[in-house]
Amino acid sequence: MKRHDPVKIPTTESEETGLPFFQTWKAVYLFVLATFVFWIALLVALTEIFS
Amino acid sequence: MSALDFVVLIGSMLGIAGYGIWRTRGRRNLNSYLRGDGQTHWFAIGLSVMATQASAITFLSTPGQGYLGGLGFVQIYFGLPIALIIIAAIFLPIFRKLNVFTAYEFLGKRFDGKTRLLGAALFLVQRGLGAGLTIYAPAIVLTTVFGWPLNLTIICSGLLVIIYTVAGGSDAVTVTQKYQLAIIFAGMITAFCLLLAKLPSGLTFTDTFALAGGFHKLNAVNFSTDIHERYTIWSGIFGGTFLMLSYFGTDQSQVQRYFSGASLREGRLGLMFNAVCKIPMQFGILLLGVFIFIFYQFQTPPLFFNSTSAQYLSEHRADPKLRAYETDFNSSHAQTREQLENWMNARHAGNFPAAQTAFAAAQTAQQQSEKIRAEAIEELAAKNSGTKANDADYVFITFILRQLPHGVIGLLVAAFFAAALSSKAAELNALGSSTTIDFYRHLIKRDATDAQCVFASKIFTAFWGFVAIGFALSAHLAENLIQAVNILGSIFYGVMLGLFVVAFFVRRVGGTAVFWAALAAQTLIFILYFNLTISYLWYPLIGCAACVIFSLILQLTLGANKSHGYE
Repeated sequence: MKRHDPVKIPTTESEETGLPFFQTWKAVYLFVLATFVFWIALLVALTEIFS
Repeated sequence: MSALDFVVLIGSMLGIAGYGIWRTRGRRNLNSYLRGDGQTHWFAIGLSVMATQASAITFLSTPGQGYLGGLGFVQIYFGLPIALIIIAAIFLPIFRKLNVFTAYEFLGKRFDGKTRLLGAALFLVQRGLGAGLTIYAPAIVLTTVFGWPLNLTIICSGLLVIIYTVAGGSDAVTVTQKYQLAIIFAGMITAFCLLLAKLPSGLTFTDTFALAGGFHKLNAVNFSTDIHERYTIWSGIFGGTFLMLSYFGTDQSQVQRYFSGASLREGRLGLMFNAVCKIPMQFGILLLGVFIFIFYQFQTPPLFFNSTSAQYLSEHRADPKLRAYETDFNSSHAQTREQLENWMNARHAGNFPAAQTAFAAAQTAQQQSEKIRAEAIEELAAKNSGTKANDADYVFITFILRQLPHGVIGLLVAAFFAAALSSKAAELNALGSSTTIDFYRHLIKRDATDAQCVFASKIFTAFWGFVAIGFALSAHLAENLIQAVNILGSIFYGVMLGLFVVAFFVRRVGGTAVFWAALAAQTLIFILYFNLTISYLWYPLIGCAACVIFSLILQLTLGANKSHGYE
C-alpha cells in the first residue's frame, strides 16, 4: 500500500473572521444556523396559516 | 421579439463574452488558467458559487415547478446551510493546505492513484452528462422565441458556449459571473414587479396568499415520513445535506470556485454567503411561479404552455377532439374566474360563508380545468409521439413572451443566457481541469509543461462541450429539467462523497478498500434506483453510507491499513 508523508490538518479557527460582530468562526456558523432555523420557521408558518 | 429586445440580448451577451475574453488575454500559465490568480474577494467567490449552481435551468424551470407544484421544491435546499458549514469548517482548510488543483488530487494524496482516478471519473461522467442539460435549457428559450428546431438550437448555443469557455480560464469565469448575476437578478426582479402589477386591481396581497394557499401552492414544508414522497422536510434536511455536501464539497465545478480565494477566510465567507442567501433566493423564484399561477386564474392560460404542443394545436384546430378539449378548458377556466371574482367580492364585503362557497366552486372548476388539460396532453402525445408533453419548463417563458413589454423580454432572455453561460463556463472549465490534471498530467504525460497542460485543458474543455451537446439532444426525455439534473447528481454524488468522508474521517481505511467499496456502492445505487421508488434525495445518503460501511468491512478483511495521508 502506498505510503504518504503525513500532512497536518489545520484547525478550523486558524484564521480571524475579520467581521465586526462575529469574532470566531463558531459564531459565524451559529449565525448561519440561526438564519436557517428562522427561514424554516417562516416557511412552516406560511404553510400552516394559508393551508 | 422586437429590435429593442435583440439589442438588449445581443449587446449583453457579446459584452459579457467579450469582457471575459479581454480579461483572460495573456493568461498562459497553468495556475492562472485553472485556478485564477488566487486573489478573489469573498463576495466574488460567493457570487461565483451561486452563479455556478444557478444555471438557466434554475430560472426557467423553477417558476414552472412553483406554478405546478407550489413551494414544496424549496425543501431540497434545506440541507444546504448545514452542508456549507461542514465544507467551510472541515473540507476547505484541508484542500487549501494541500494546495491541490482538483478535489480528486486530494484523494490521490490521501489514498492512491486508482482512487483518485475513480473520484475524477465519477465526476466526469455525471457532470459531463449534467452539462448537457445546462445547454438544453437556454435552447428551450430560443426554440420558443424564434421557432427554430430544438436540436439545431442545442448545437448552435452549445458551440457558442464552447468557444467562450475555451477562450476563458477560471479567472474569467469568476470575473464575468458577477456581471452575469447582475443581469439575472435585474431580469427576475423586474419580472416579479411587473407580475405583481398585472394581478387584478382588487386583489390584495393577503388575498393573493389566501388564494395560493387555497390551491395548495404554499405548502412549503411537508412533515410526512413517507419515504416515497419526493420533497419532505426530512428528505430535504437529511438527504439534501448529503446531496449538497457532495455537490459543493466534491464537485470540481464548485470546488474550483472557492479554490480561487485569496485566503481561507475569503473561501469560507463566500460559502457562508450562499448558506444564508440560497433558501430565500429559491423561495423567491418559486413564489414567482406561484404568483404566475394566481395571475392565470384571472387571465385565460393556454391549454398547453409547451410551445411545440401549442403549435400542434393551432395547426390541427380542425380536429374535433382537440377543439373540444380547448373549448371545455376555456369554459371551465371562465367558471373558475367567475367564482374567484365572487369570492373576492364576498371576502371584501365580509360575507365569509359566501366567500367559502364561491371558493369551493372555484376549486372544483379549477380541478376540472387541470383534468381537461391532463387528458388533452395525453391525447396529444397519443396523436403525435414527437410532441413533448412537459409543461413546467415552458410556463415562465410563455408568461414572459405573452405578458411582458419589449425590452424586458430581451432582458429576461439575456438573463437566461447569462445564467447558462456562467454555469456552463464553470462546468466546462472544471471538466477540462480534471481531465488535464487527474488524467493527462497524472497518466499520459507526467512531465508536461505548463503550456502543454493549458493547451490540453482547452482541448478537453472543447471535448466535454461536444459530449454535453450530444447528451442535450436527448434531454427532452427528462420529466422536468431541474429534477433531471438533481436526479442525475443523486445517483453519483453519494459514492463520491463517501470517498471524501472516508478520506477525512476514517483513517484506518486505505486506498484498495475504499476503491472497491466505492465500486460496490455505486453498483448498489444503480440497482436501487432501477428497483425502488423512493425520493431521489435519499440516494446521496445511501451511496455515502454504503461506501463508508463497505470500506470498513473490506479493510477488516484486508488487514490493518498502515497508510495515513495526514495526521
